[in-house]
Amino acid sequence: MIHIENLVKRYGSLVALDHLNLDIREGEIFGLLGPNGSGKTTAINCLLALLKYDKGTITIFGKEMHPDSYDIKKDIGVVMQNVAVFDQMTVWENIDFFCGLYIKDKKKRLELVEEAIAFTGLEDYRKMRPKKLSGGLLRRLNIACGIVHKPKLIIMDEPTVAVDPQSRNRILEGIIELNRQGSTIIYTSHYMEEVEQICTRIAIIDHGQVLATGTTEELKKMIKTGETITIEAIALDEMTLSGLRALPHVFGLTYENQVLKIKCSDARHNLVRILNYLQEHDVSFGRVFSELPTLNDVFLEITGKELRD
Amino acid sequence: MLHLLKYRFLQIIREYSVMFWSLAFPIILGTFYYLSFGNIGLAGTGETSWDSVPVAVITEDDTSDYALAFSQFLAELDGDMLKIEDISSEKEAIDDLKSGTIQGIYYVKDTPSLTVAENGINESILTALLDTYRQNSRLLQKIAITHPERITDALNAVYDYQSFTKDTSLGGKTLDSTVQYFLALIAYACLSGAFLGVRFAMDGQANLSALGARRSITPTHKLTLILIDMLVIVAVHFVDVLLLNLYIVKVLGFSLGDQTGTLILINLMGSLIGVCMGIVLGCVSRLSLGVRMGLCVALTLFPGFLAGLMFGNMKNIIEANCPVINRINPAAVLSDAYYCMSVYNDSARLTRSLIILAVMSLLCLIVAFLGVRRERYDSI
Repeated sequence: MIHIENLVKRYGSLVALDHLNLDIREGEIFGLLGPNGSGKTTAINCLLALLKYDKGTITIFGKEMHPDSYDIKKDIGVVMQNVAVFDQMTVWENIDFFCGLYIKDKKKRLELVEEAIAFTGLEDYRKMRPKKLSGGLLRRLNIACGIVHKPKLIIMDEPTVAVDPQSRNRILEGIIELNRQGSTIIYTSHYMEEVEQICTRIAIIDHGQVLATGTTEELKKMIKTGETITIEAIALDEMTLSGLRALPHVFGLTYENQVLKIKCSDARHNLVRILNYLQEHDVSFGRVFSELPTLNDVFLEITGKELRD
Repeated sequence: MLHLLKYRFLQIIREYSVMFWSLAFPIILGTFYYLSFGNIGLAGTGETSWDSVPVAVITEDDTSDYALAFSQFLAELDGDMLKIEDISSEKEAIDDLKSGTIQGIYYVKDTPSLTVAENGINESILTALLDTYRQNSRLLQKIAITHPERITDALNAVYDYQSFTKDTSLGGKTLDSTVQYFLALIAYACLSGAFLGVRFAMDGQANLSALGARRSITPTHKLTLILIDMLVIVAVHFVDVLLLNLYIVKVLGFSLGDQTGTLILINLMGSLIGVCMGIVLGCVSRLSLGVRMGLCVALTLFPGFLAGLMFGNMKNIIEANCPVINRINPAAVLSDAYYCMSVYNDSARLTRSLIILAVMSLLCLIVAFLGVRRERYDSI
């Protein structure tokens, strides 16, 4: 559905997109995951033909995307990172206005507006102006304006920024529902939990490059960490720590504030092996946790930094 | 198309801060002007239409041809521009002048003279009449020497003073000196369309606002959006200016002349210039809306100031010292056009102003269009 090849965008000496390559398939919820400034929004703006770029090609629905590609644009819906609605118009008028930019038939337009209002749960607010809405409701209005014409492709650029948990859940459920109804969705975020929760495939992007692409499971398998074991233990000496480091499949260990964190590669019985070692050396310990790798671990290992850095 | 027109219209008229500057502020300013100048101008005394000026005529010499000619000149004006009171003695005339019953005393003699007690528009008119007589008198003497065969034609022209005054609009509706402020105010109001223009630019450009970005990625052709926006904004502002015209004429009681068509044309071009100035300002650089609006205030008030918005004589001072500023300052050109139309019928000067305005409108329109037609940006 979308093919981006060798996309390069420079702002003076700063390379915002560095030979970015992406393929997005029909029916996906495709997550673009990366920290602030990684190039996600720049990539989206290039994709929408809003930004000039230095090199590369972008095709959507098999056609090259240009500013005057109105036949492509009619099948795209965009939910901007910043709320893009008219403060002077009511909720209903805003949705109707944006729908009218896509749909000429008045009857059909009115139906779609009502559907979008119901979909985003704005029934009780249709006559209110945006300034009277809470942050969450405003985001929902922003989404309603972007998806009201039922596009084939929906691009959502961090739609949950500064949204309360309740509205965030509603928005995420809505995205899954839109996908179920047939829309392909590109979802950018720096919230890995969201991406992990809703995206069928993810691209990790940093410094304008795609570092890895795949499903959540595929991405987790790409990294060395298979399991992180956390143990509360008092006064461990250096000899014990060295012994733990020498155990099979252990490749990382930290001990701070009486909390021992051991990173193990993907193998069976890691936890049993470590606990046996501690018992054999008469080390007393408290609570024990074992965690599978998260996208943050994936990101940390691939980029060497936390996702929210 | 109607859908876009309707919503653009709603967006504009509900943008209260912008509408304040483009509509309410000029009306409020006009009201303050009216209250401030009420006792100075004719409007303040209710003399918005022409009244004859009461004068006394004291004949000091009734034998010379020159004195007889002046006496006849005054008699021609009696009942029209002048109301010659039946006063025979100079002492009585001076008493009446002091008491304000009359506003001037003409002395009929070889070299006619005038005595007035105050400075005012009526006294200025009396002076202007005497000056005109003197000029005509000198002219006739010169013609009698150089072209004696044409003296009859010259005399007819001079004696037909009634038609002469009509042609120069001295008998027109607006003799109030304070009208200059109101004309500068209308010119300022035209330029205040810049506030609407800035809004238009902000809403239309993807690099200036999220709304601009959202509108840019819809399948509605960008040119359609631009044309509809400009049509609605110029129309709304044009109506704003017309409302101000109506307020000045109907509520404040000032006349803007009787050339309705020309007035509408000037208003339209003024509105277009104002809106386009705002669009250009809106597109120039990435400033916040607040900064843009602040610049708008400066860029509309300053030309207004130069055109006499705060100090009525400013335009004349500039005209005397650096007239080119008055040719390129849209507020001054607009004010001049209104002045030519409503105060005196100087068709040549009016035509010049209209041509300058037309060129300015076209230039502003082209620059504004070049500013907003971009579809892809270097940065967002």
